[in-house]
Amino acid sequence: MTVRQRLALSATIRYCLLIIFSLWAIFPILWMISTSIKPESEILTSNPSLIPHGLTLGEFKLLITNMSFLTYIKNSMITASCSAFAALVISVFAAYALSRYRLVRTVSFVGRLMFIAQMTPPVLLVIPIYIIMGKLGLLNTYAALIITYTSFSVPVSSWILKSYFDNLPIDMEESALLDGCSRTGALLRIVLPVSLPSLVATAVYTFVLAWSDFLFGFTLISTNNMRPATSELGLLEGLWTVQWGQLMAGSVLCIIPVVIVFVVFQRYFVNGLLLGATKG
Amino acid sequence: MLWKAVRKANFRPTHRDAYAERKRKIDVLPYLYSMPSVVFLAVLLGVPLISVVLLSFRYANLEMPNLRGFVGLDNYIDVLTDPLFIRALIQGTVWTIGSVVGEYLIGLVTALLLNSKLPGRTIFRALIISPWLVPIVVASLTWKWLLDPNYGYINLLLLRLHLISQPIDWFGGGAIALFTLIVVNVWRSYPFYTLMILASLQVIPNELYESAELDGASSWSKFWFITFPYLKPISLVLVTLNVIWVFDNFDFIWLLTQGGPLHETDSLATLTYEYAFQDFHFGQASALAIIMILILMVPFYFFNRANRRGEVG
Repeated sequence: MTVRQRLALSATIRYCLLIIFSLWAIFPILWMISTSIKPESEILTSNPSLIPHGLTLGEFKLLITNMSFLTYIKNSMITASCSAFAALVISVFAAYALSRYRLVRTVSFVGRLMFIAQMTPPVLLVIPIYIIMGKLGLLNTYAALIITYTSFSVPVSSWILKSYFDNLPIDMEESALLDGCSRTGALLRIVLPVSLPSLVATAVYTFVLAWSDFLFGFTLISTNNMRPATSELGLLEGLWTVQWGQLMAGSVLCIIPVVIVFVVFQRYFVNGLLLGATKG
Repeated sequence: MLWKAVRKANFRPTHRDAYAERKRKIDVLPYLYSMPSVVFLAVLLGVPLISVVLLSFRYANLEMPNLRGFVGLDNYIDVLTDPLFIRALIQGTVWTIGSVVGEYLIGLVTALLLNSKLPGRTIFRALIISPWLVPIVVASLTWKWLLDPNYGYINLLLLRLHLISQPIDWFGGGAIALFTLIVVNVWRSYPFYTLMILASLQVIPNELYESAELDGASSWSKFWFITFPYLKPISLVLVTLNVIWVFDNFDFIWLLTQGGPLHETDSLATLTYEYAFQDFHFGQASALAIIMILILMVPFYFFNRANRRGEVG
């Protein structure tokens, strides 16, 4: 075998493997979409096909008009974006302290606390968080969810941002400080503009985390029209005999916003995470 | 009068004082910066954690609100002698190891594939990462539908290919239900590994591979002697974090099987939920929660030891 043949063979093998893995990743999603737009007769059949013969948007119409599913999507949108914003603001400052003041003992202690905080399983904290939110009078409000998602995201967000800040050269800030800029000014005007990718990565991380939550939306919210979409979908399954067309239509509605966010920010997201992650 | 003037003069900030003041001000900043995060962590993780510890030593049952008080280690003894505990511990361990190994291997292979400079790799990257965007509720619904015994595509496909003679109930028996859970979890969670490993692959200097090629190294030895050592730190972090996340995970198991059939897919996390929200036995649930944290100290200890030996960044 010549070198060229060997290279061609290796490229072919790589492509085959990539195609196999891509199919395994994407097939369930395609099947979900296909089921959501199929008429019932094509869903409950022993000979289904990925590409539907008849097209119907009936299930979507039913979800939106009869079950006001868009309200749940709106709830998810509000809670997920507010959490993303809040977590970003809080972790920017925490991460900056962790990165630039790592010799201050309290700060490094906070860093260690955050690592440990990641270990505590949410399911263990559901009971006390429910009680606390009840005492604060926040049950059945967006605030309860936003506060909860934010605090679960802060540890990881801070670590992503910290490792990004660690890699930034310190000279720029120092010359700004010498020119009479305050620390906070240097952080806001010098550090943040060059950290855009990691800021986006952190915000997207929190958004996805909040959007995917089931547990807290399910326990902290009992008023119907305040519940986030994913929790509502989880409850929908138990309501009647399983109607796959409807459940898959709901699933499609639930993934559209995340996909949009991800596609818009993908470039930033991947790079931000990549640069942040390289230091472990 | 005079005394006052002297005092005033002494207290007028000199140049040196201003410097000291500025220095002091700067020293306040790190505390100020980390305060919001500390407040959040304290209120939503610290206080609940402490109340879980306290509850674990008390009798607390929502169905009998008048009966309560300090019971010492009774909750712990009740949990440890519950026959379900050992089963959930074993099943939970299998679930954790299976998921983490599967996620790591697929994450590693996909990251290595995506790291090669083939045309079209951005599309492949987007496709391979896509399951990570699917919320757990949606992932579990979609897989339940795919694996449905009557009309699920996977059973119909296997039947058509004559690989099976009758539909499999994927969530039926214990071992097969656990296996299905692991497959679904791996499908949803491996992209995180892909992204993180891909990130570390990109900092490996290309010269290392070039000189290895000049020496006639095989692909395998290039991987084993160059790539893998570079991946060791990030792998250690990823595996430790994921052992913790998977061991604690509640949503997947609950949404797919609710720990059933007959507790055959219960893990300690779902058992905690059952104690709390089905038996309303908050004290016992809290005791189990503390036991889980103690068990998780084991992987954490090994991680810390490796960390101190300098294997992590």
